[in-house]
Formats: sequence, structure tokens, C-alpha cells
Amino acid sequence: MTQLWTERYRPKKVGEVVGNPESVKAFVEWMKSWEIGKPIKKAALLYGPAGVGKTSLALAYAKEYGYDIVEVNASDWRNEEKMKAVVGESSHYASLEGSSKKMILVDEVDGVAGREDAGGLSALRKIINETRVPIVMVANNPWDQRLAPIREQSLMIEFKRLNKTTIIKRLKEICEKEKISVSETVLSKLAERSEGDLRSAIMDLQAVAAGKPVVTEKDLEVLGVRNRVREIFEALRYIFYAKSVRSARAALEGLDLDPETIYTWILDNAPTQITEPDELAEAMNILAKADMVLVRINKLQMWRLMKYAIPLMTGGVSVVRKTPPKGFQKFTFPPKIRLMQQFKTEREFRQNISLKIASKLHLSAYKANKDVLPYVGFIIAREDKSRHSLSQYFEFTNEEIEYLKRAYGEVKEGREAVEEKKEKPVQQKKKKTGFLS
Amino acid sequence: MSLATVTTLPWVEKYRPKTLDDVVNQEEVITSLKNILKTKAVPHMLFAGPPGVGKTATAHAFARDLYGQSYIEDGWFIEINASDERGIQTIREKVKMFARQIPMGGEIGFKILLLDESDQLTDDAQHAFRRVMEQYSATCRFILAANYSNRIIEPIQSRCAVFRFRPLLKKDIIDRIRWIAEQEKLEVDDIALETIYEFSEGDMRRAINTLQAAASISSKIDEKTVYYILGYISRGEIRKILELAMGGNFTQARDELRKLIYVQGLAGSDIVSAIYRELFYLDLSEEDKLELLDLLGEVDYRIAEGGTEEVQLMAFLAQLASKKKRRQT
Repeated sequence: MTQLWTERYRPKKVGEVVGNPESVKAFVEWMKSWEIGKPIKKAALLYGPAGVGKTSLALAYAKEYGYDIVEVNASDWRNEEKMKAVVGESSHYASLEGSSKKMILVDEVDGVAGREDAGGLSALRKIINETRVPIVMVANNPWDQRLAPIREQSLMIEFKRLNKTTIIKRLKEICEKEKISVSETVLSKLAERSEGDLRSAIMDLQAVAAGKPVVTEKDLEVLGVRNRVREIFEALRYIFYAKSVRSARAALEGLDLDPETIYTWILDNAPTQITEPDELAEAMNILAKADMVLVRINKLQMWRLMKYAIPLMTGGVSVVRKTPPKGFQKFTFPPKIRLMQQFKTEREFRQNISLKIASKLHLSAYKANKDVLPYVGFIIAREDKSRHSLSQYFEFTNEEIEYLKRAYGEVKEGREAVEEKKEKPVQQKKKKTGFLS
Repeated sequence: MSLATVTTLPWVEKYRPKTLDDVVNQEEVITSLKNILKTKAVPHMLFAGPPGVGKTATAHAFARDLYGQSYIEDGWFIEINASDERGIQTIREKVKMFARQIPMGGEIGFKILLLDESDQLTDDAQHAFRRVMEQYSATCRFILAANYSNRIIEPIQSRCAVFRFRPLLKKDIIDRIRWIAEQEKLEVDDIALETIYEFSEGDMRRAINTLQAAASISSKIDEKTVYYILGYISRGEIRKILELAMGGNFTQARDELRKLIYVQGLAGSDIVSAIYRELFYLDLSEEDKLELLDLLGEVDYRIAEGGTEEVQLMAFLAQLASKKKRRQT
């Protein structure tokens, strides 16, 4: 029988839950506190990105410690009436002697907000106040304005993306149990693709491993992951060293990569290959024009324009280069692709911070990010005692506070130096001209 | 400053007008709104005016006066920001869902939905919205806030009472900042006040944020303190990128640019505007500035056309990098 591996290998005990040890600990302690009496917070809100074990932890705990789960699967019903009927009813009666204990699980609680059944949230709020049974809620984004009261009632437990080693380890265990042989490289690639989402990694694994005793890198092609790095390096060499537009264009023949990807490789290698500023300026100018052609191709679905984009993006960097670099300059994997991965966490931090600011200050998240976040960061980074209170207002987590301190606090010397140097002349200009920001 | 003076609230929130009477320099609007409150015949309304003059605060104060303190909690009032969700979906789902529910109890038979930054809605969304305004007017009245009323389609405008919010005067902002400074026990000298005003471009929110940031360095705020904040917060990063490029450090400039776009999530058009402001003051020949200005205009246009932001801006930075070199030789 084929069962989804994500279900088959769902943890059955708390100890089997992978990653986020702090969050697991916090949750277990909170559940234990129900055994000795009512805890201060009667609900816990487990939040974080998809596939990192939030729901699994709740289910595993229930299984291990013999709780019956009343699950409010948010996609079914969540208006006031239903919430009261199903959740409310179960919450009145704590477990009787001898009978099994109860846990209420409200999945996707962030999905309740803004839907037809708006009364559901306030009903839930009341239920939490009166409950005699632990209420566990799960959300990807708990920062919706309408969840604010529930946040205050709940123990907030954050879950983060899982790191690569953790994911690889778990995939390995599954491979052993399924008696399939998968190389370290393949596992590593799967883990990378998943970007910290274990569930998706297991899905991918099942997809590529279906019915095979051995999984090779080639099987990964099903997923569209192809390692063409060597070919592209070779093509780049032809492109940058071509003497005519025609031969530069020809370098792409037989290269099975989409033009956008090739474009990124050319774009990011241009600055190291073209060292003369005038020539680089011209090359970037032509690349910018090629970009516009690509935009039109996408917008108008005018594929025939590709015949202009290709010579522009290849010839633009070769024919323009009159001064070859001293010695052989290595071609590199585009820093953009690497940076985007690095940026991801930071971007998420900023997004979360902006959402929190936006919900408090009646702004769009974009405006909060652009217009307010820098000030808030600046203030939080500089105030020691009060830091706690302002960040509490915005409900920032410790990690978020740390991020703001890093980004707006004691700045790296380079940046500080720039500030110092420029401060004076701008002052004078500003006075004279009334020049604004 | 002594840490004790810093409160738990951001000052924009702490000093947000709580009643209609607290709203600064919008007397005509406030008088009309008070009349509406008397009759409780609330029309759909469009609040138009520049950022930071009190549109959102006025909407909240109005609703509070109409429904009482727990106007949000009791479900009478909801605020949706159109800028984050600009599509037709927002209207069809969020707005409609809220609007169609019949409110329970209370003497007023309808709810209020504030659609903030409504000029950000796509045309499709606006057209969807105009039906909603009619269909659900029995159960819900709408307040639309917008910077530019001309970006709101006419059929919507014609269904609204339009209130124009005036830009704040220099005096309004300086008085308010001075007053907040007193409450917070800060010493702010006159030149500092002028500077805060100048930078605010009439946006009270920005002025108050600047003051609070300045207060985090010192309780005595002078011109220098304010400039420090300004350089730090809004201009430092752009300036750094331009200087890196001019110093021949193109790849570093590029990486910083990418951070602005992909980490901070700034829109290309906002980066172009910031570069525009700095351009006139760069250490370049005037001819070069003209040429770069021409290029920047092209970049601006291409981004509006859908060009990839980082690519178009990189072309500008590369050009800037070549200029510096030429000047030195």
C-alpha cells in the first residue's frame, strides 16, 4: 500500500520531532504544567514556516501521553456557532478520572481571520478564557491584526526553518526504513531544495524514490534539478572571449538553459571579466537593454524577439571588452543566487518586523518597512533598558531585536565612516537650498 | 537621555489624535464629520490628502465617536490596507466578507470599513469595489483613504463624499513636535525643529519618528543630532552605494544595491528617487551630472515599464563608476 511518507514518518513521540529543540521544550513544559494545575496561558500558538513540525509536535505529544485530540481543521468550519459547538463543548470538561485526557488543536488559526466566519475568532477567544483543556493553535503567520487578542492569551512558540544537516539526517533514517539506497549528494540536494521545509523534502524523496532500490542524481531530474554548472562555465568562456557578435551568440547553441538563467550568469560575471570602467559601463548598458527585450518577450509573449536578446546579452559583454583582464579571471557561480539564499532569512526577519509594525501603526507593510522600520531599529538599538518595552509593544522576538541591533546599532566601521565624512557638507547645502531628504 | 523618559509606545501611536478635536489643521473636515455624527447618517467617504496629515487617525477617531471605545473589538470597524493587497481578490473576499455581514445589536445598523491607501488598488479591483459599495451599503459604509484622489476611478468618487485633507503647515508640525518634546522632557532647539520640519516634507509621522529617534541619542536635541539621524536612517545607504561606485568598487556597490532591493525590499522607483536627490551633490563635473541625469530618467522609465530593477540600476552605477575615473585622469 502506498502511503504518503510524510504521514508514515510523522513522529509518534515527542523525541522523534526533528529540529527546533527550544520550541519543543517550551511546548512540552507547557503541556506538563497542565498535569499539575492550570497554567497561566491556557493556549499555545505554535507558529513558523510550513513543514517544520508544528502540527506534528502537537500530534506526537498527544499520542505519546494519551491525549484525545479534538481537531478543528480550519478549512471545514470556523464561524462562531461551530467554534462554540465543537471547540467550546470539548473545552468545558477536563478529563474525568480514568478517562483519557483531551487536547484541542486549532490548525491554521491564521486562516480564520478575514474569512466569512469572522465570529469564530472572538468565540475562540472566549473559549480560551474559560477552557479547562489545553488549546493548541498552529499558524504560519500569527501577526494578523485580528489575532492580536489571541496572541496575548497564548504562549507564543516560534518554529524556524530546519537546517540542512537536520533534514539530511531525517531523510537518511527514512531511506533506511524504506530500504532504499540514496547517496549523500542526492540527499544533500534534496535538503537544499527544501529550504528548511522537511515535509517538502520527504515529499520530494518519495517522488524520486518511488519503487526504486537505488536513487541516483539522475533521478533528481524529475524534480527539474539539473546540474549544468560545468557546461555553463564553458559557454561563459566562449561568450566573454568571442571576437564577433556572431560567435558570441553561437556560444549558447546547444546549451539547454533558459535565457534568464544564462543572463544572470553573464550579468554577475561581467564585473570581474571586464575591468576597465568605461567598458564595463558600456557592457552594463547593453545588458540593461537586453533586459528590456526579455521583459517585452515575457509581457507580450513575443518569442521572436529572443533573436535580439541573445546577441545583446552575449555580444554586449564580449565585443565591448577591448582590454582583456590581466591573466585568467575565474568565472564564478553568480553571487546573486548565493546572496538570495543568504538574504532569505534576513528578508523574512524584515518582513515579519514590518508586518508587526504595520498592524500596530495602521500602515501597509511596505510603508512600515520603508518609512518606519529604520527609526524603530535605530531606537531599539540604542536604548538598553527601554529596548525591552518598545519591542514588547511591537511583540518582537529576541531574534528580531538582535537583528535590529545588528542592522541599526553599532555599525560596521565602513558605514559609520561614510556618515561622518558626508555629514558636514550636506548640512551646509541643505541650509542654503532647502534641499529635502 | 535618561532612559526613564522613553515610554513603551512609539510616539506616533502615543500622540496619535484620539478624538476629532485632536486632529490638527483640518477644521473644515472635522466640522463636517461632527455634523455627520450628530445625524448618524454616514455616507461613503473619501479622505484624500498627502501622507501623514491624519487621514487614518481621523477615520479611527470618527468610528470611536460613533460606536464607542471598543469599536474595533466589537466588530464595528475594520481597517484594510490596500497597498499590501492590491488585487481584485481583496475586494471579492476580504471586503465583501466584512461588508455583507449584518451587524448584531447596537443602535447603528451598519459597520465601517476603512480602506487605507485605496489609490493603490488596481483598476480591476476598483471596478469590483464600486458594486460592493452599493450592494452592501445597508450593512457597511466605506471610508477610503488615498494620497491621490485622481487615482480613484470616477464612479467610486461619485459614490463618496470627498474630504480633502490639507497639507500640514510648518507651524502645525513645529508646534506639535515642540509639544511632544515638552511632554517627553526633551530640549529641542529651534534650528533642530526647523530641520525636523524640513525633512518631514509635511508628514507628521516622519517628523515624530525623527524626534523619537533623536531622543534615543540625547535629551538635548540640536541640529547635529537631527542630521545624524537623517544621514543614518534614510540617506546613508544610498550615499554609500554611490560612493562605492565612484570609488571604483562596482561589485561592492552592486551587492549593497541588492541588499536594498532584496533584503529591505525597497521598490526600484524609490531607489531611483533617492539617487535623484543625491545626484546633484555628487563630486562630479556638471556635464557628467547632466549625462547621468539623462540616464537615470531612462532607468526610471524602464523600471516603470517592467525592467528588472537591479539590472537597470546597475547600468547606472557602472556609468557612474566610469565617470569618476574619467575625472581623475
